[in-house]
Amino acid sequence: MASHRIEESALSDFGHIPYAVPHMIHPPTTFTNQEGSAFDFGELEEAIVLQAVNETKQPLYAGRPAATLEMFPSWPMRFHHTIRGSSKSGEESTDSGSAVHTLSSRGEGSRLEPESPVGRKTDSSSDHRVIDQMHHLQLPQQIDMASGSDSPRTGMSQAQPVAKPTSEKRRGAGSNSERLLDAKTLRRLAQNREAAKKSRIRKKVYVQQLESSRIRLSQLEQDLQRARSQGFFVGGGGGAGGNISSGAAIFDMEYTRWLDDDHRHMSEIRTALQAHLSDGDLRVILDGYIAHYDEIFRLKGDAAKSDVFHLITGMWTTPAERCFLWMGGFRPSELIKMLTAQLDPLTEQQLMGIYSLQRSTEQAEEALSQGLEQLQQSLTDTLASGSVNDSMHHMAVALGKLTNLEGFVRQADNLRQQTLHQLHRVLTVRQTARCFLVIGEYYGRLRALSSLWASRPREILIGDDISCQTTTDLQMVQSSQNHFSNF
Amino acid sequence: MHYQTESWNSDHKPTKSSSSSVITDPLAHIERLASDNAVVIFSMSTCCMCHAIKRLFCGMGVNPTVYELDEDPISGKEIEKALILLMGVSSVPVVFIGGKLVGAMDRVLASHINGTLVPLLKQAGALWL
Repeated sequence: MASHRIEESALSDFGHIPYAVPHMIHPPTTFTNQEGSAFDFGELEEAIVLQAVNETKQPLYAGRPAATLEMFPSWPMRFHHTIRGSSKSGEESTDSGSAVHTLSSRGEGSRLEPESPVGRKTDSSSDHRVIDQMHHLQLPQQIDMASGSDSPRTGMSQAQPVAKPTSEKRRGAGSNSERLLDAKTLRRLAQNREAAKKSRIRKKVYVQQLESSRIRLSQLEQDLQRARSQGFFVGGGGGAGGNISSGAAIFDMEYTRWLDDDHRHMSEIRTALQAHLSDGDLRVILDGYIAHYDEIFRLKGDAAKSDVFHLITGMWTTPAERCFLWMGGFRPSELIKMLTAQLDPLTEQQLMGIYSLQRSTEQAEEALSQGLEQLQQSLTDTLASGSVNDSMHHMAVALGKLTNLEGFVRQADNLRQQTLHQLHRVLTVRQTARCFLVIGEYYGRLRALSSLWASRPREILIGDDISCQTTTDLQMVQSSQNHFSNF
Repeated sequence: MHYQTESWNSDHKPTKSSSSSVITDPLAHIERLASDNAVVIFSMSTCCMCHAIKRLFCGMGVNPTVYELDEDPISGKEIEKALILLMGVSSVPVVFIGGKLVGAMDRVLASHINGTLVPLLKQAGALWL
């Protein structure tokens, strides 16, 4: 009969693989293919009986599989579900199919994992009902199996999902007796353990980063408060002296993290160049660096939505960078000019490409600057005009005009992003790598310049300010050490 | 520089092909307007980004045909609505070159930087050398 055929084919597929009842998870492919939504209860009953018979002959956790041992425990479950809702068969078949495939050594590691069946829905009520059914069939061993068979059900379900997460865990706990698992399963278990360990480590690192960033942020805010209370104009909220907005604070924190990442990328590129990696490998690293820049532009886009003034006034950068700021960031044409000297030798075609890139960035910058100028002009007109009576209206109009600022900062960042991408296109892989190194070092030095400038010895004018000034300077000098590590 | 009769400086009225106050098919109307000239910009006189995009083209030596939608009492609103449908987010500025849609400021800038804008302009006859 069908079940016997199934048993035979099952055995032929999995030969020596011992599957004790509670550990059986994955029905063989043939088995699944033969069953379908039209399940025969008669065959099931027969199979269960046969299994019960087998059970009496063997212990539950036998090393050698009984002929009928593997399949049957979950049949009642599956059948039960089939009775209840054959409509579910379609959507679940893929799940069970994939579970099946894991056994035929094709599967995804996670699927084979006893503890982690593929997103099966569980039905506790049906479990109980099926257990009742088992009792009904008057198979004392079946009852044992039933309680333990909750777990195998997962793998067995072909038409219906019968897995229960808790039962999976139960079975999983039981299945740690590894002598009952084959090499593939062992390997997959090990892989899963590795993956779990790796993600635990990653999580720990991330949390550590978060914690340190948080500490750094609170320290920065403390410094800011202290400095401001001394009357310093230390990049705070200007005359308002208000707290930094949350959007700005978040961005500053993310930017600090981005700078650390930048440092790491730079070292990677440097060692890659020195190690004379192949172009293919270098390209992968460079793509990563481009993606790193794409990320800061994305972060800036988000920050522009919440606090465009923070970006456009350059409060997120160091003073020296702020001096050369253009529309919330670096000026692309200046960057190209700076690079051209460092990039020799270039082919004719590359020179053309760089030159036209410089020209197009200059034109774009000019256009955006003029647009921003018009915005400023319009804003001035709005604020200057109007009588006392309709001042609120004018304020509202002015507010509306301010919203355009975000668009300009975004377009400027878009321009920067496109410039970097185009550089990558025009230059060879090695040239691009050198180019990125030059850019990274340049801005590192600019940031260091800011620190040095802030910490330079100054005339002592007011006695009270000396001590706090020194403290601030010391901190600046300390932070500048990081910047020098680039060189 | 090649000056067209409807230069972007002067008060420009859209072509009077649709004399009725309601355009039956705004997108087709837009398409028609777009194919009339090499470079067509839909803009608004108060929009600063539109000012920037006009400056960009003029800085390159292109003389675009500009339709100021807020100065068009007849079909301005319709065209604006159709542009929002077309572009998704904002209505202006929108640039057509050679009758084909290029996009808003971000696409125009991107294509200028990656070197595809100038050939496109030359192909449409808006740029010489």
